[in-house]
Amino acid sequence: MSAVLGAERPQVVSHVQQALSYTVFDCKWVPRSARLLCLGSAARGTGVLQLYELNGARLQLLREIEKPKPIKCGTFGATSLQQRYLATGDFDGNLNIWNLEAPEIPVYSVKGHKEIINSIDGVGGLGIGEGAPEIVTGSRDGTVKVWDPRQNDIPVANMESVQGESKRDCWTVAFGNAYNLEERVVCAGYDNGDIKLFDLKTMSLRWETNIKNGVCSVEFDRKDINMNKLVATSLEGKFHVFDMRTQHPTKGFAYVSEKAQKSTIWQVRHLPQNRDIFMTSGGSGSLHLWKYEYPAQRSKKDSEGCEMGVAGSLSLLQNVTLSTQPISSLDWSPDKTGLCVCGAYDQTVRVLIVTKLNKI
Amino acid sequence: MPVWLREHSWRQSPTAVYLSLPLRGARATPANIFCGEQYLKVSIPPFLFEAVLYAPIDDTNSTAKIGNGNIFFTLYKKEPALWDSLTLANADKEKLQYLRENAVLKAQEKAKEETEAKKITKQEHKKYALEATMKLEEAERKRIEALKEKERQKVAEELELWKNQQKDGDKYKSIQKKEELPQEIQPLKERKNEKMNKTLIPNEGSSKTRLKSTRGCIIELYFVILLSSKPEKSLASFFISSALTLFIGHGSCSIFAQKLKEEQLPAPRAPATIKVNFTPRVFPTALRESRVAEEEEWLHKQAEARRIINSDLSELEDLKEEEKNPDWLKDKGNKMFAMGDYLGAVNAYNLAVRLNNKLPLLYLNRAACHLKLRNLHKAIEDSSKALELLTPPVPDNENARVKAHVRRGTAFCQLELYTEGEALDYEAALKIDPRNKIIEKDAEKIRHLIQGTMQSS
Repeated sequence: MSAVLGAERPQVVSHVQQALSYTVFDCKWVPRSARLLCLGSAARGTGVLQLYELNGARLQLLREIEKPKPIKCGTFGATSLQQRYLATGDFDGNLNIWNLEAPEIPVYSVKGHKEIINSIDGVGGLGIGEGAPEIVTGSRDGTVKVWDPRQNDIPVANMESVQGESKRDCWTVAFGNAYNLEERVVCAGYDNGDIKLFDLKTMSLRWETNIKNGVCSVEFDRKDINMNKLVATSLEGKFHVFDMRTQHPTKGFAYVSEKAQKSTIWQVRHLPQNRDIFMTSGGSGSLHLWKYEYPAQRSKKDSEGCEMGVAGSLSLLQNVTLSTQPISSLDWSPDKTGLCVCGAYDQTVRVLIVTKLNKI
Repeated sequence: MPVWLREHSWRQSPTAVYLSLPLRGARATPANIFCGEQYLKVSIPPFLFEAVLYAPIDDTNSTAKIGNGNIFFTLYKKEPALWDSLTLANADKEKLQYLRENAVLKAQEKAKEETEAKKITKQEHKKYALEATMKLEEAERKRIEALKEKERQKVAEELELWKNQQKDGDKYKSIQKKEELPQEIQPLKERKNEKMNKTLIPNEGSSKTRLKSTRGCIIELYFVILLSSKPEKSLASFFISSALTLFIGHGSCSIFAQKLKEEQLPAPRAPATIKVNFTPRVFPTALRESRVAEEEEWLHKQAEARRIINSDLSELEDLKEEEKNPDWLKDKGNKMFAMGDYLGAVNAYNLAVRLNNKLPLLYLNRAACHLKLRNLHKAIEDSSKALELLTPPVPDNENARVKAHVRRGTAFCQLELYTEGEALDYEAALKIDPRNKIIEKDAEKIRHLIQGTMQSS
């Protein structure tokens, strides 16, 4: 780990803090705006969607929408920039796509899973990447399903366990490798430590591994490029960074792992403006900002002459403790470097600014 | 008996008394000197000097100087007056005693007070030190806070600026959506005038609106960039001209570009399923790195336990609970033997032995069965095994051993191996239990048989 000079280190400044009257499970920036969305579950067991606008030193509530079932996760990833529809997964296994201007009736709705949808991701929208817009959902019923908003009721891909075998909860999903019209990859993390990489072009399992602890969050550094890096965080304070450029036939992908905190690492999010910087949020209410440094040679030949990847190194740029409760959701603003929002289980949502990121 | 020091000399002034006490070679330390208000004592065993003073003195300020084989006292009088003599001359014993005790008490009290005072001063010093450090830390903290505040404010300002840009961009989008085409020109023109401080060619306005009627986010974006740029004249003009050219250039194809883009989106994939297998695991709970060591230990212990049972688990799965108990099986075997079902008894004993091969009674009883079944060799084997297990030879297993020997002997005899039968077993049996008539009789019989065969051969 290389040390960064004290004066030049990025600082995490807490800009606004907003107390909420419900448990917030996910918070997202509305693309191309200074507005943010908070999704969660109210005490009476209904879902809540709140739209806030950043106004000076406070958040101004623009809209509050209530839904029958608590909402666990949401994404803007699969919509175009004009429409900006929100796709959400709720506690009942329903996938809905909402138009926030007219949120009474969803634009698309399907009961995708039998149990809670733990994680959702979208690709192909927002002017990023190419190809069809698709949404992937991972659920506690052990299946990962990929949906196309133009096709009703039936998922375009379904990753489920072999008949009769036990199934494990899927805790997180992420899209990647969407650099042209055909290629696409879905990475899923499960509660027993399995990470599986599914290739949607060939509809097959491309790689799997087990990191010995439940996988809380996976993310590719960029969805729309040839897969470069994958960060997988897990329980007991560990996270792994896989170098996805070189796949060895038996050893898989090279990785570097770091044990950052004693508690679960709930989320990892890469900075949209710099794909080597990412932030991890922990169960002790802390945020760590990391930088990945590439090795001198990204691949080398092993004894049999097969190419295998070489993992780089990680350095901790900054760390800050904001809360006593886990910070369960984190989102960088795609429009302003360093602006991010995080939601914690102490029913607050905080807008943070990370300074000096352009100097890294 | 202490040696009194009496060779003291003294002189006085109105306020003080100076007393010199030669020590006759003894070494004095401050501990040897005891001074009260009206009482002075120097005790260096075996020497002793004691003086009940004429009048009270101020014992806190008085000093004693030790040196040169001499102690020099400087005693400050409480009341400036001239003393007739150093000590109270005609004091009676009781008064002297009283004064002495008083002095001692007073000295003790003083000592106590002094320690108290010291404690208090110490505490105050500590408090002061603590406060000082607190102040320093507070100052440090404030400095850091101030830095952070500054940073925060700077960042907040930047954010405001950015946000305003965003707002304007959004406002334009909403305006476009709601209002009609001709109405759009007015607010736009006003805005432009505000920001750019320039008059525009009317043509520009119209061409822009025409372009705007086509839907294209590209155009909206250009607009946002245009209007949010800093109002510098040259820069602005450059922007406008470049934007215009872009607009006009793209204007015709933007409509088509949009449509093409929609067509270019590939069709939804054909639905397919991928089957996955999860990492196999013995435990129903998920894998957690911190518990791996515990789990390994548990599995190891389980394996050990299974080995102790000493049998093939798969066969025993069909049995009921009681059938897995060797004692129960032994009883069953005994019952069957009593009923005459020797084969059944043997089976029962076999199973019992598989479950627990350390019970000698099982072998013993099985030997009996074999005898009845005339499996003589097996009988011999079993009795031998029983005897093995019955070591050490103690009175407790006498009975069993006798039986074992008898059975083995019988087997030998039936095999016509009389010598072994007789020599080994019946003798042994007799040794264990010499009072058993049956054995004696049998032994006799066999001996006769042996002699008979020997004679005949």
